[in-house]
Amino acid sequence: MKVNVKILAITALLVASLMLAPSLQARSGGINNVDSGCTCHSGSPSSDVSPFMTLGNGSALPSEYNPGETYTFSFGFTGGPGSEFIAERQNTGGFNLVATSGTLTILDDSTQMIAGQLTHTTTGNDQMNWSVDWTAPSSGSANFQLTVNSVDGDASPGDGDHWAQSQFVMGAPGGVGETTTSSADGITVLFSAILLVSLMLLISVAYVFYRANPESFSWSAFAPWISEWLTSTDHKKVGTLYFVAGLFYFLVGGVIALMIRIQLSVPGNDFLTQDQYNQFFTLHGTVMIFLAAMPLINGFANWIVPLQIGARDLAFPRINAMAFWLNPAGSILILCGVFSGTGADVGWTGYQPITSWVSSHPGTTFWLAGQLMLVASSTLAGINFITTICAMRTPSMGWMQMPLFTWSVFVSVMCLFISIPAFGIGLIEAFLDRTIATAFFNTSAGGDPLLWSHLFWYFGHPEVYVVIIPAFGIVSEVLATSSRRSIFGYKSMVYAMAGIGFVSFIVYGHHMLTSGMAPWLRFVMMLTTMAVAVPTGIKIFNWLATMHGGSLVYRTHTLWSLGFLVTFTLGGISGMFFPSIAMDIHLHETYFVVAHFHYVLVGGTVFGLFAAIYYWYPKMTGKMMDERLGLLHFLIAFISYNGLFWPMHKLGLMGMTRRHHTYFIQANEYSDVVGTLPPEVASWNSFITINAFIFGLSTLIMVTNMVMTLVKGKKAPADPWGGWSFEWLVSSPPPTPSFDDLPTLIDVNEEHGSEKKENWLTRLMVPNDPDEEGMN
Amino acid sequence: MSTSLTEERIRQIINEEMKDYGVRKRAPPSASDDDHGDDHHYGHHGNGWGPHDWEHGAPHNSWAPIIMSFGITIFLFGFASTFVMNDDLNDTVFNGNYLPIVLVGFAVIISGLLVWWRQDMSFDGHFEPKSAGAPFQNIDIRKVGMWIFLMSEMMVFSSLFTTYIRYRMGTESCQAILDNHATYSNGLPFSPGDACWVPASYFIAGSHSESWTLVLFPDTLVPGAINTFALIVSSFTVVLALKTANRTDLDHEERSRKIRNYLGATLILATLFLVLKLIEWFVGFNIGPFYAPSLLDDGYTIHNEMYHFAGAGHGGEYIDVNLRLSAATFYVATGTHGAHVFGGIIGLVYMTYKAHKGGYSPTNAVSIEYFGIYWHFVDLVWVLVFPAFYLY
Repeated sequence: MKVNVKILAITALLVASLMLAPSLQARSGGINNVDSGCTCHSGSPSSDVSPFMTLGNGSALPSEYNPGETYTFSFGFTGGPGSEFIAERQNTGGFNLVATSGTLTILDDSTQMIAGQLTHTTTGNDQMNWSVDWTAPSSGSANFQLTVNSVDGDASPGDGDHWAQSQFVMGAPGGVGETTTSSADGITVLFSAILLVSLMLLISVAYVFYRANPESFSWSAFAPWISEWLTSTDHKKVGTLYFVAGLFYFLVGGVIALMIRIQLSVPGNDFLTQDQYNQFFTLHGTVMIFLAAMPLINGFANWIVPLQIGARDLAFPRINAMAFWLNPAGSILILCGVFSGTGADVGWTGYQPITSWVSSHPGTTFWLAGQLMLVASSTLAGINFITTICAMRTPSMGWMQMPLFTWSVFVSVMCLFISIPAFGIGLIEAFLDRTIATAFFNTSAGGDPLLWSHLFWYFGHPEVYVVIIPAFGIVSEVLATSSRRSIFGYKSMVYAMAGIGFVSFIVYGHHMLTSGMAPWLRFVMMLTTMAVAVPTGIKIFNWLATMHGGSLVYRTHTLWSLGFLVTFTLGGISGMFFPSIAMDIHLHETYFVVAHFHYVLVGGTVFGLFAAIYYWYPKMTGKMMDERLGLLHFLIAFISYNGLFWPMHKLGLMGMTRRHHTYFIQANEYSDVVGTLPPEVASWNSFITINAFIFGLSTLIMVTNMVMTLVKGKKAPADPWGGWSFEWLVSSPPPTPSFDDLPTLIDVNEEHGSEKKENWLTRLMVPNDPDEEGMN
Repeated sequence: MSTSLTEERIRQIINEEMKDYGVRKRAPPSASDDDHGDDHHYGHHGNGWGPHDWEHGAPHNSWAPIIMSFGITIFLFGFASTFVMNDDLNDTVFNGNYLPIVLVGFAVIISGLLVWWRQDMSFDGHFEPKSAGAPFQNIDIRKVGMWIFLMSEMMVFSSLFTTYIRYRMGTESCQAILDNHATYSNGLPFSPGDACWVPASYFIAGSHSESWTLVLFPDTLVPGAINTFALIVSSFTVVLALKTANRTDLDHEERSRKIRNYLGATLILATLFLVLKLIEWFVGFNIGPFYAPSLLDDGYTIHNEMYHFAGAGHGGEYIDVNLRLSAATFYVATGTHGAHVFGGIIGLVYMTYKAHKGGYSPTNAVSIEYFGIYWHFVDLVWVLVFPAFYLY
């Protein structure tokens, strides 16, 4: 206990120092009722607008500049609606000028600097050309990117307005000091680093193999070892592969999240460009859901489900391997656009028509193709798990005697299996739109973007239950074992999960309440969505009752499950704001939504997965994990997690919008410039960023724990925690095949499994006569 | 909850029981197991390339999954690079430089498939586990898997029909607009290039073209009709193959020959289906009295924004319509069905070859049944696709 007190003290100190951390000074000003000189006037650049940029006297830009000299530039545009003469016209045009080097100095009140970029003011809005002073740098070529808007003067951005963009270059004097090295794109560098890390991972795998038996190491022994991993169809090996891949992409998604948080830590920040920001939040969502959460769940399902139901392997081992390998293969496509700086930038939802539009990056096509492969993977995995659980339970195990984790996997896989084809078809349609130019989501040819939303969310909403329901199963296992009793209300737990699974198909419309969906459908979706709270509430109370009637042992996995209960309940409560149509219209696309789904996806799924890691790691590796490091991980992560996501509720209510590159705050509490946020938003964002880093780094404690105990951990007994299900009967790690003769379930679960068989559902599911059952 | 059962007691009971049932508690294989050299390392797992030893059941190692997965990656990468929509979203920019990548990807997928088949070739029905628990007691596990797979397939075609119904119901028919003299039903004028619905049946079962009067069978419904019968008959030949494979009164050689013939007939009928479909889409007929233009010649393409729609019963009156949406819905829905037929053909090639080699006997005849389940499903989908897209 002494150590625990110390850890508590350190954590308290950390938290206190976080509270006292000075908030960073926010930039005053912001967008002052002007256009930001962007592409917001219409979708794509127009060829009738031609930007120009000359020296102040009208001569062309010199090819080389003199270091330190100050030049006056005159720039603007010709053509487009802004150049047509209309009497008493007010608005003609706007611009945005970015200089890669040198210093821009404002000459008059028609221009202003925002976030390091030059743009026009309200006064400058009435002009077609502007001028500015530029002081040349000492070396390196200077690039200017000029974006101009030629507007039609109707005071509203829209169809009548045209825009265009041009690049201008001034070289360094005499080629001396000319740096021809084009600096790589930040995002390219990041993903190249990820590639490098994968390579290093491969090398370290080889090293681990070498270390295991240094004397007898030879490449001829290494080759079969590595090919065993590449070709294995054993459910435990495939499970480990899923697990490693999931953790790897968890790291990738986490790094992306931290980049986003750096960008948002101060207002008006320019750490990421808008373009990169779009790619980052798209890939963060895609990577975390499809490449981290689902493979991790699949990893545990692969490992534990056959053991829990007393099966030798999954029903179709080779298809299982195929389902795994489609994952890393598909992830290459999902991320490949990023290496050329053109990754998908359409959000993980891929809303139409932007996804089928030219203005989204070319990488979006690959992103769609990669997701298509993940759809195939999920379908194959679905066939496998449903068949295994339906058909390969040990002969003495009826449906209502299955462990709850197996039940949760069954329900979640069913949800996924029935819903994902709709997504697959949507992806195929979008993919064909982008390649052979079909017209499914092309509005000018009569296509309907809402069809995509329906197909996507018909899958997308069950999908979020797909990732949370296995966490329910994990928590049920962990809490029952830790309470040293069976779960309270086993049957109601099963029915609640099945109920959530069923309802998940008829609630998806609450994602589209603001999309212009039919009003009567909105009302139906509101009611069904609220109904989800009922089975979820049943589960929460059953867990509480389990602990109430048991005698709780506090181990790391118990702590994570308790943490899950708190955070998931909070996330569930904030979720109940959205089905209410009026509330949803107010809260839609704000940080309140971000806070909600991170509370259920991180506080729910990820906490559940952490619990599962601490719970089943001894079974999977045969080594006990360090409980002290586990406690440290939990305390730091749980506190920083709440520090990270709780303030987002507040930010959302203050009006901070999600998926926006940056935000601006009011100079003081009396200024009321449209679009700016109260000053405290800046300090809350810094606070969130600091917590994000602590939370992200705390995961390294767990990884360290896993690696260290793998090398020199205590040997794990077959059943370290006193669990009751079949996976604890075999040795740690289990042999292959896990069971020589299938185990028989004896009636230890009589208090909930086979009590009364009067009702028809039970009769249907529990075989009455064991002799009738098929034997292998 | 009965409190008399303590944790220790339960564990004790379980352990005693397990002793009787012989649960193996075996040490994990250590690195030293690998030192026997040659193939012994693989034990009964078999190597990843060669034929499986099916006596033991799972697991068997296989290179096929990793090869096929990365093959699909290469194929999709190449495809997405070769065909790119243009900036106006109304045509494809073809980039031939990437075509080799598509072919390489396809070759890799096929080679993965060949590895998979090579391992399956030796399957002679020795290891056919049965389902243990309710509700599928005593049914082969592979059969359960096939039915569950069809559940997902149902959703695939449901989604396609959802797309179809949404656009069919939500897009005004061109014929109605023409009947209304280029006016929408809400009174707004139709301007050339606007989207409206031209069903494929207009080209297939209708008689919009003057050339119709010359032909013996005055519409291109002929290939569709032949196709329907081809699929239905092919379902029957699969059943005959299964029935033959179960016959014990024939000697092995005779039986294998018959199975091969029936499966071969199925393969030919399936190929006929796809060939006729491609003729109907892209080539058209011009054989003796049979003349019918292909859908491509008729202008029913996914890129046609200005189709000269003369409809029926209006003499020289016409409207210029954008039929891209109707065409895309038709081609993708029937094309997805065609892809399923193509998948069946790939399977049939393997099965016919295996039958030719004498691979089927009453012990593993069920393999033909599982293919038959899938094939009946594809048949059934066609029965729904045909009226929705060809007749109505």
